[in-house]
Amino acid sequence: MKQENIRNFSIIAHIDHGKSTIADRILEITKAVSKREIKEQMLDSMDIERERGITIKLNTVRLKYEYKNEEYMLNLIDTPGHVDFSYEVSRSLAASDGAILVVDATQGIEAQTIANMYLALDNNLTIIPIINKIDLPSADIEKVKKELIDTFGFKDDEIILTSAKTGVGIKELVEAIIDRVPSPKGNINKPLKALVFDSLYDSYRGVLTLGRIFDGRIKVHDKIEFMQTGSVYEVTELFVYNPTFTKVSELTSGEVGYIVASIKTLEDVHVGDTITLENNKCDKALPGYKPMQQVVFTGLYPTEANKYNELREALMKLKLNDASLTFEPETSEALGFGFRCGFLGLLHMDVIEERLEREFNLNLIATSPSVVWEVMLTNGEVVKIDSPQKLPPPGKIKTISEPYILTNVFTPSEYIGPLMELCQDKRGIYKSIEYLTPERAILHYELPLCEIVYDFFDKLKSISKGYASFDYELIGYRPSNLVKMDILVNGSLVDALSTIVHKDFAYNRGKVVVNNLKELIPRQLFSVPIQAAIGSKVIARSDIKALRKDVLAKCYGGDVSRKKKLLEKQKEGKKRMKQIGNVEIPQEAFLAVLSNEEIND
Amino acid sequence: MTSSVYIHIPFCNNICSYCSFTKFYYDKEKVKKYLKALKKEVLEKYKGELIKTLYIGGGTPSSLSLSELKELFKIVKIFKLDANYEFTFEVNPDIDDVKIKFLKDNQVNRISMGVERVNDKYLKFLGRCHDFKLVEDKIKTFNKVGLDNINVDLIYALPSETLKDLEEELTAILSLNVKHISTYSLMIEEHTKLYINKVKPIDEDLDYEMYKLIIKKLKEHGFKHYEISNFSKSNYEARHNLVYWNNQEYYGFGLSSSGYFNNIRYTNTSNLAKYIEGNYVKEFETLSKKDILSYALILGLRKIDGINLKEFNLKYKVNLLDLYNIRDLIKNKKLQIEDGNLKISYDKIYISNSILINFVGE
Repeated sequence: MKQENIRNFSIIAHIDHGKSTIADRILEITKAVSKREIKEQMLDSMDIERERGITIKLNTVRLKYEYKNEEYMLNLIDTPGHVDFSYEVSRSLAASDGAILVVDATQGIEAQTIANMYLALDNNLTIIPIINKIDLPSADIEKVKKELIDTFGFKDDEIILTSAKTGVGIKELVEAIIDRVPSPKGNINKPLKALVFDSLYDSYRGVLTLGRIFDGRIKVHDKIEFMQTGSVYEVTELFVYNPTFTKVSELTSGEVGYIVASIKTLEDVHVGDTITLENNKCDKALPGYKPMQQVVFTGLYPTEANKYNELREALMKLKLNDASLTFEPETSEALGFGFRCGFLGLLHMDVIEERLEREFNLNLIATSPSVVWEVMLTNGEVVKIDSPQKLPPPGKIKTISEPYILTNVFTPSEYIGPLMELCQDKRGIYKSIEYLTPERAILHYELPLCEIVYDFFDKLKSISKGYASFDYELIGYRPSNLVKMDILVNGSLVDALSTIVHKDFAYNRGKVVVNNLKELIPRQLFSVPIQAAIGSKVIARSDIKALRKDVLAKCYGGDVSRKKKLLEKQKEGKKRMKQIGNVEIPQEAFLAVLSNEEIND
Repeated sequence: MTSSVYIHIPFCNNICSYCSFTKFYYDKEKVKKYLKALKKEVLEKYKGELIKTLYIGGGTPSSLSLSELKELFKIVKIFKLDANYEFTFEVNPDIDDVKIKFLKDNQVNRISMGVERVNDKYLKFLGRCHDFKLVEDKIKTFNKVGLDNINVDLIYALPSETLKDLEEELTAILSLNVKHISTYSLMIEEHTKLYINKVKPIDEDLDYEMYKLIIKKLKEHGFKHYEISNFSKSNYEARHNLVYWNNQEYYGFGLSSSGYFNNIRYTNTSNLAKYIEGNYVKEFETLSKKDILSYALILGLRKIDGINLKEFNLKYKVNLLDLYNIRDLIKNKKLQIEDGNLKISYDKIYISNSILINFVGE
C-alpha cells in the first residue's frame, strides 16, 4: 500500500474512560470482525485485562476502510492505560502518527488523561479529542468540552462526540483519522529503520517482535540487527494482525507488523530498540531508548515449601510474555525458599500476583513491597538494596537514601484539604497547586516512593470518593533518617516482617503493626507475644491470647459428612498460612507491616 | 448391619432465630404430601433389618396434628423393632397432653425437648414461643404417663449473657430432674434471623468459661460428660447418637436427612418439591477405606472416653496408633491413652477441631 493511504494511530485515555470499547467499535465499523465475533474489549486478550478493564499487553491491529473511493490501511496501535506502563505507552505512541484522546463525558479530564496527552505531544502526534459515553444520563458534554478547550487549547469543532456503547460518532471518528492524521513520511529507498514497540512470546515461534517501519523495507530471510544490543537474527516470518495473524512477505515504510526471527527469549528484544539490516545499516538509531526499570520489589514464597519449583516455572512462563518482570531466588529464615521479584509499579505487581494464583493455582505469601534503597557505607561504598533483610548492620551504615517521586494528584477542589493531609502523613513535601479550572486542581507533592507502595492509592480514592486520580514520576534519591524495624513473633525474629521505616515514625508504626498482627494472626494453642524492635530495643508489644474454642458443637441429625467437610475446609485454610516456629501466620499478616492505621475489628 | 433409623419432620409452627435446619411453616397440604413421600422412601430403602434405635427429629415433629401423627406412626410400624429398642421423639414444650399420651401408647420411650433457655428475655431473643412454666408442666405430664427418659437442649453463650445468668439457668434446668442434657454454644449460621440481624458471637474466653461452668455444675449433680456437648445420668446416654459417634450405619429418611450404609454416606435433598416427586438423594459419598477411618476418628474422638483401641483394631483391621500422626499427637499431649481407649486430652476438648483436622483431607 502506498504510504499516503496509511494511518498509524493510538488511543489514549484515563483508565475506564472507554478506550477499549472505542477500539471494539472501530474494529466493527471497519469490518475487521463481524458483530457476532465481538467479545467485549476485543484487543484485551488476557482474562485479567477484561475483568479489570485495563490493558496490560499491547495489541496492534491492521484495518481496512474505504473512504472517498480510496482504500486506506489503518493501524490501530493499542496502548496500556496505566502509569506503571508509561514507557510502553510512550513507545507505542512513538510508533504512531496520531492519537485519539478519549475523555469520559461523565468524568472529564483526569490524571492519566493529562499524563498521556503530554506523552503524545512529546511524540509530535496529531490529537483527535473525543468525548465518550455521551449516552449516559450523567454526561456533562459542555463542561468536559470546556475543560478540553481550556486545558489543552483544542477548538470546539475539533472535538468529536461518541458513544462506544451505541456506536454514535464512530464513523465520523474513523473518517477524522483519515482526514487529520498525517500519513507516514518514511523513505522506502533508505536502509531499514524500524522501532520495536512491543514483543510477545509464542511457544512455537519464539519471540514475536512488533515493529513500526520508518524507512526502508523488511523481507523474510533478511539478516536484521538490533542496534542497542547488537544482536543479529534472520527473519523467518512476517505477520500482520487483522485481527487474526496473517502472513506477509514484506513490510515497507509506514507499515506495522510482527517480525519472527527465531529469537529465544523476550530479554533479547528491548522495547524502544531500533532494527536495521546487518549489511545495510541506517545512519543512527531512533531516539528515546531506555532500559526498563523495576521500582517495586516484593518477596514471593509458596505457602507450601514443595511448591518452590512450580513457582519458579510459573515465573519463567510469565516472564516469557513480560520482560519487565524480574526475579531472583531469595531465602527467608521464616518463609523458606522464594523469589525477590521486581515490578514496574504497584499495578504490575498486583497483576502478576493474581496471575500466579489464578493461572498457576499457587498459594503465595507476598512480603510487604519495598523500594530500592541506596546505602552509603562508612567506607564510602554505595550499595543498592531491594529488601530490608539485605540492609548492612547499623555500624557500617553512613546514610540511607530512598527514592522520591513527584505526584500529580488530580482532584476536584473540594478534596484538596484532606488530600494534602494524606500527603503530609506520608512524609510528603508540598510543591504547588495548579488550578485547571476553579473546580479542578493538580496537587504536586514530593513523596518517598515507599510511602505510596501500600495503601496510598486506596486512601486517595476513598478520601475523594473516587474522584481524584494520580500518577507520579521518579525524581531521584534523597537521604532520610531510616531504620530497620524487626518483628518478633513468640520471641523469634520473623525476617519477612522486617521493614525499613523513618525513625520519627517508628514508634507509632510499631504500635500499629503489633496491634494489627494481633488481629490478623489467629489464636494459637498457647499465648503468643508480638513485639516490634529496633535493634535490640523493643518499641511495642501486643499479646495474642491462647485459643479457647475451636469445636463443632452441634450435631446435625447425623449429617456427619458436613462435619467432615467443615474440618476439611478448616484444614485448607490452615494450608494458606505459614508455619513459623510453632505459630501459624496468615498471608495478610505479611502485608500488615506497611499499614499506617489500626484495623477496626 | 444397619439397625438405626432417623426420620426428619421439617415442619414448625414457629421459626426460631438461630435455626438453620431445613424447615417449613406447618401446612396441612404439604404435610399430607410429605408423609406420602416419606412412606414411599421407607418402603424403597428399608430392607427389614431389626431396628435398635429410632429417632424422629425436625423441625418440630410435635407440630403435626394427631391424625397426622397417626399417619406418621403407620410408617413407623413398617420397622421391625428390636426387643431392647430406643425410640426418641423430639417435641416442643407446647405439645398438648393428648399427643403426649399418644406417643407413650405408640412405643416412644425417649423424649427430647427443645427447652433452650429458662429466662424469658433469652427465649424471646431465640424466637421461642413458650415459657419455663410450660416446660415444667409438660415434663411433669411426660413423667406421669411414664416417659421419664427425657433430654433437654440448652443454648448458651448468647449476647450479653453472664456467667451468673448461666448459673441460674442451669439451676432451673437441673430442677426438672431430666436424665439427659445437651448444651450448645450459640452458633450464628448463614440463613438464620440472627445472621441477617448481624448478631456477633460473644468473646471466646467467656464462652470457654461458660463451658467449664456447665461441666462443673452438671457433674456436681450426677451427670456424666460423655460427649463434647452431651451429659447424662448413668445408663441414659443417647444410644441413637452413639451410633453416629461409633461410626455405625443408619438409615436417614425424610427431607435433608443423612444416612450411612454399604460404604455410602448420603444426604437427601432439601427441596420439598423434589422430595415429593421421589428424587430423594441430593448427594452421596462412596467411602474408601481411608474415608472410613477418617470418619471413625473424627466421630469417635467426640466421645469423652474416646475410642477403644481393641475394638477399633478388630473392626477396621488396622493398628489405630499407626494411623496419621497419632503417636506425635500423643507425645504432644493432645491425645492420650487411658484404660485402653484413645481420647482427646480433657483440657483440649473445647479445641478439638484443631486436633481432628489431622484426620481429614490429604
